[in-house]
Amino acid sequence: MSRLLMHTGESRKQFELQLMRGNWFIRNRGGTAACSRLSPSPSAHRAANEQPIACRYRLRPNGHMGLLDKLAGWLGLKKKDVNVLCLGLDNSGKTTIINQLKPSNAQAQDIVPTIGFNIEKFKTSSLSFTVFDMSGQGRYRNLWEHYYKEGQAIIFVIDSSDKLRMVVAKEELDTLLNHPDIKHRRIPILFFANKMDLRDALSSVKVSQLLCLENIKDKPWHICASNAVQGEGLQEGVDWLQDQIKTMRT
Amino acid sequence: MELLAVKPDAVTSSKWLDAHYDPVANLYTFSSCIALADLHGDGDNKLVVGDLGTGAGNTKLKVYRGIGLLSENTLLDLPTGLVSFLMDQHEPRTPAIAVASGPFIYIYKNLRPYFKFTLPFLEVNTLEQDVWSQARQDMIDTMTLKEMLESIRAKADIPLSVRSLRFLMLEPQEMETYVNLHKQQPIRRQTVITCIGTLKKNMVDEDAVSCLVVGTESQDVYILDPEAFTILSKMSLPSVPTLMDVTGQFDVEFRIIIACRNGNIYILRRDSPKPKYCIELCSHPVGLVRMGKNVVVGCAQETLQGYTQKGKKLWTAYLPAPVTTMAVLDLPTRGFQAVLVALANCEVHVYRDKNLVSTIKTPDVVSSICFGRYGREDGTLIMTTKGGGLIVKILKRTAVFDERDSAPGPPLAQSIRLNVPKKTKLYVDQTMRERENAVAMHRAFQMDLSRLRLAAARTYVKALESSLTPVSASLAEPLKMNAVVQGLGPSFKLTLNIQNTAVCRPVMNLAVSFLYDDRLYRMRTAFFKIPLLVPGLNYPIDTFVECLSEKGISDIIKVFVLREGKSVPLLTAHINMPASEGLALN
Repeated sequence: MSRLLMHTGESRKQFELQLMRGNWFIRNRGGTAACSRLSPSPSAHRAANEQPIACRYRLRPNGHMGLLDKLAGWLGLKKKDVNVLCLGLDNSGKTTIINQLKPSNAQAQDIVPTIGFNIEKFKTSSLSFTVFDMSGQGRYRNLWEHYYKEGQAIIFVIDSSDKLRMVVAKEELDTLLNHPDIKHRRIPILFFANKMDLRDALSSVKVSQLLCLENIKDKPWHICASNAVQGEGLQEGVDWLQDQIKTMRT
Repeated sequence: MELLAVKPDAVTSSKWLDAHYDPVANLYTFSSCIALADLHGDGDNKLVVGDLGTGAGNTKLKVYRGIGLLSENTLLDLPTGLVSFLMDQHEPRTPAIAVASGPFIYIYKNLRPYFKFTLPFLEVNTLEQDVWSQARQDMIDTMTLKEMLESIRAKADIPLSVRSLRFLMLEPQEMETYVNLHKQQPIRRQTVITCIGTLKKNMVDEDAVSCLVVGTESQDVYILDPEAFTILSKMSLPSVPTLMDVTGQFDVEFRIIIACRNGNIYILRRDSPKPKYCIELCSHPVGLVRMGKNVVVGCAQETLQGYTQKGKKLWTAYLPAPVTTMAVLDLPTRGFQAVLVALANCEVHVYRDKNLVSTIKTPDVVSSICFGRYGREDGTLIMTTKGGGLIVKILKRTAVFDERDSAPGPPLAQSIRLNVPKKTKLYVDQTMRERENAVAMHRAFQMDLSRLRLAAARTYVKALESSLTPVSASLAEPLKMNAVVQGLGPSFKLTLNIQNTAVCRPVMNLAVSFLYDDRLYRMRTAFFKIPLLVPGLNYPIDTFVECLSEKGISDIIKVFVLREGKSVPLLTAHINMPASEGLALN
């Protein structure tokens, strides 16, 4: 899938052109018509000005498969594609986690608050993941449910140092689990209790208590503490997700 | 865009998530001393509280981040108001905190003391100054000084300074030392700040520079320049301001809505030093909130009233309990505005115009309330309780306030069936009998009634002849008496309550006599005089009766009230003595 970004300077709205299933779609990246000013940290602001956001994605020509890919396809070694939704409140570290999972030459240096959503790809030993990295800001959370159908797995990220908004995370999780597109499907959910390096962070056990994860009976779930800046704990979670998807396929 | 509407039959509190409740947070504050501000410019809003402590001293400036205390500064005096405002154009855009206490405004930047502004001194009465200058030169003694100051206090239009008022309160022996101590200093009159607000200087933006607006005890309103702290404008009011709401920009057009101690609300505008409009309330304002162009006032008489800015009354909502504090609930992202009213019955009501759209139950009476962006959440409701607790609630993303008025329709009493008794067969049989024998029944009843009247009249005449009534019949001595026996025996306390029921004529020369069987009872005094009976007062007269019988026999004691020189008693009371439950000691 390839994408192009077009900036219209004065309106600050972003549209993207996407090639999906052989058709080009134009999509308003803001998701809503109202696009209010963001106030990222000064350094992030500078970074966003210096390099256009499009540089953050590896442009891979979609129409032309590499020779190796074709070969792998013929031999039946083609990696399975999995769509994963990455959800969580704003500032919980979703984009940073996805960024860490990408190969090191493709990682972005600066992470800015996501507008609408981004689509990222990365590969593990046996699967190729397509991640919908959704924005967690209040005004974009109503976009989540439009992508529930495509999601075959969910990564839910929690800021374990933000005790005040733990109830909001729980509320969003309950809404997600009770949504008709999710409720009756047995899809694996991976929770990251992120920012475990901070001084006042809660343990993953405490986070799972506060979110009442033990009440999730009909879906496989797993929680692991992580530090997305250093990349600690991410591999464990992705390995679990990979195992779950494999067992579901077979 | 689909919103999951909250079911109408769901509990109204389900619109809110309980983020945090700390019953022992030890926060004692009011809505005027609480603010939300992005103190570090990182998008993470902090809660700033001017804590009044639990009495003398212990006042602190506390800053909360998330659910924990971030920092504490000691305040020198009780804070009367606290606002956060941007005072300059420097980057990063971190607001300063202004704490008003006494005649000073303490400005904190980066949570460190930065500047102290003092209100200008008021003019001093010239006569008072002359008197004190004479005292300084020892031309007058302290008593003359006292008399002169009292005469100034009585007729001068400029009130006395605190020093003179304190002097007038002193005892004569303390005056000399007080005068010697203070006479060298010049006299000053200072006022104190009662309320504080902010006013954007010339921009409407969220991060525009703001002026401070200060209301004082001297019935003035000052607008201060945010950088130089000079007085840009001064306005005067007819009474002392207590609550304030400011809107607009200083350089363009602004309105200051002020509730005062005389129970009126005044509206000040640009270019007029005196208020232009006045809203007269029927009771004192407890809370004042502006909703767009209207003013919503919570009154002491348990009502919520809406007015236009011209002073026209729009509506009144009746509340179930007294108002403790009020705040505005403003969610620009969802285009929702409402008024939060905290009540003394541990509830917080959300009103949209006169319609109650939601009720929040709290574990304690809420004393201060604040709604806005806290941390990273826009719709956060922060409340502190009377017992010093802190409650943080977050408005759900999917919460929908339905516009319909949740006030009940017809009163419940209308739907309750009346308790009409049923008619039995017995009743029907009686009516049949009445129909058949109506004439005989009527005659028999009339005959019995005549006999009853005769018997009653005979008994009444008998009672009058022997003065057996406890209420006197004669118009000359309108008296009333009753007797009470207390105790279990063998000794009883007998109390006579005698009252003169005349309008304005005392009764004199009365006496009380007891008649009893002296084999059964013994009294210390069986005859004594009654004091002058003032009309309207009840005179309890005690005496002690001792029972002599060992067989548990009881008898009647008769009490007579007599006029001296006449043998016919005015009043009589018969007291049935109870049986004695003990043996008399001989």
